[in-house]
Parts: sequence; C-alpha cells; structure tokens
Amino acid sequence: MTNKLSELRAARGWSQGDLAEALDVSRQTVNALERGKYDPSLPLAFRIARLFKLRIEEIFHPEG
Amino acid sequence: MKTHATERRTALSGGALYRLYVVGVAAALGGNVLIRVAAELGWLGSAGRMLVAVVAVLPLVVAAGMFWQLLRQDLDEMVQRIVLEGMAFALIVYVPISALFVNLKTAGGWVPRLDPPDLLLTPAILVALGILLAWRRLQ
Repeated sequence: MTNKLSELRAARGWSQGDLAEALDVSRQTVNALERGKYDPSLPLAFRIARLFKLRIEEIFHPEG
Repeated sequence: MKTHATERRTALSGGALYRLYVVGVAAALGGNVLIRVAAELGWLGSAGRMLVAVVAVLPLVVAAGMFWQLLRQDLDEMVQRIVLEGMAFALIVYVPISALFVNLKTAGGWVPRLDPPDLLLTPAILVALGILLAWRRLQ
C-alpha cells in the first residue's frame, strides 16, 4: 500500500514527532507508515483521515 | 502541537517491559542459586528451600501481569505487533528445538546439558531475536 502521509505532513510543516503526537502513536510508527513498511489498522487510518480532513482513500492507495 | 511525548511514552513502556523481565529472571535465578547453596550446606531445610523456590518466582509473576497490561494498553499498534511477532517467533522456533532435544536425548545422542538458567534464558533470547527481526522488517 502507498500513501501520501509524508506529503500531507510536510505541507503542514509538521515533524514526524508532531504527527505521532496528534495520532497517539510512536514516531517509529509514523516513520514506518510513511515508508510503506506498515499498514495501519482501520481505526488508525480513520484517525489519520480525520486529522487531515480527507477520506481514507485520498490518503492510502492499494499498491499499483 | 506537543512534541515527542508519545515517543517517550512508548520508549518508557518498552524499557519498563525489558527491566521487569530482567529483574524477574534475575530473581528467579538468584533464588535457584540460593536453593542450590542451601541444599549443599544444609541450610533452610526442605520447607525453607521450597519457600525460596516460590518467592523467587513472584517477581516474574508480577512482571507477567504488568507485561500483559503494557502490551494491551500502553504500546501503540505497530510496537504491539512487533512484540507479538517476536513472541510468536520464539514459540515457533522453541517447540521444534525442544522436540529435537528430547528425541536426541531419548536416542542416546549427544545433547547439551541444560540447567535451569538455560531453560529460562532460551525463550528470552528467542523473543529478543524475534523482536529484532520484526523491528528490522518494519523500520
């Protein structure tokens, strides 16, 4: 799965630590998400979508 | 936004898990040494040595309860997955190794002599290896 997490975060000027704090996860988890090494659970995906005011499918895409 | 509090919390949780287990294993091993020395020197008596055997394991029992709480409530979902994968790895590897050990011993082949410390530390080492492998894959 690919995602736009790092672009969305960078557009807001947030560090990985800032995003981790907002999502209540570790910075390592944000790093793994951004690198596509870890796919989030559905509740975490919803939290991410809510934070960026987007739909989940606007952030996460199945690997093409 | 606040900074890095979540990272600190997870690091503390991971560190607490590690320290709890190390202290628990150390207490169990310390108790084992005390029982052996006491038996050798005729101290404590049978009932006293039994008491030491049980008391020495209590920190591990407490650690197990706290580990369960940390695992279910304090770790974020990815770290939780890493720890669970590490434990699954340990179980998956430990069972065939144990079966091989038992069969070789029954067949009269050479097997290393296992003392109680080996029995305690082998799963711990395998869990650590499993966590390392899962961590490397996800980072």
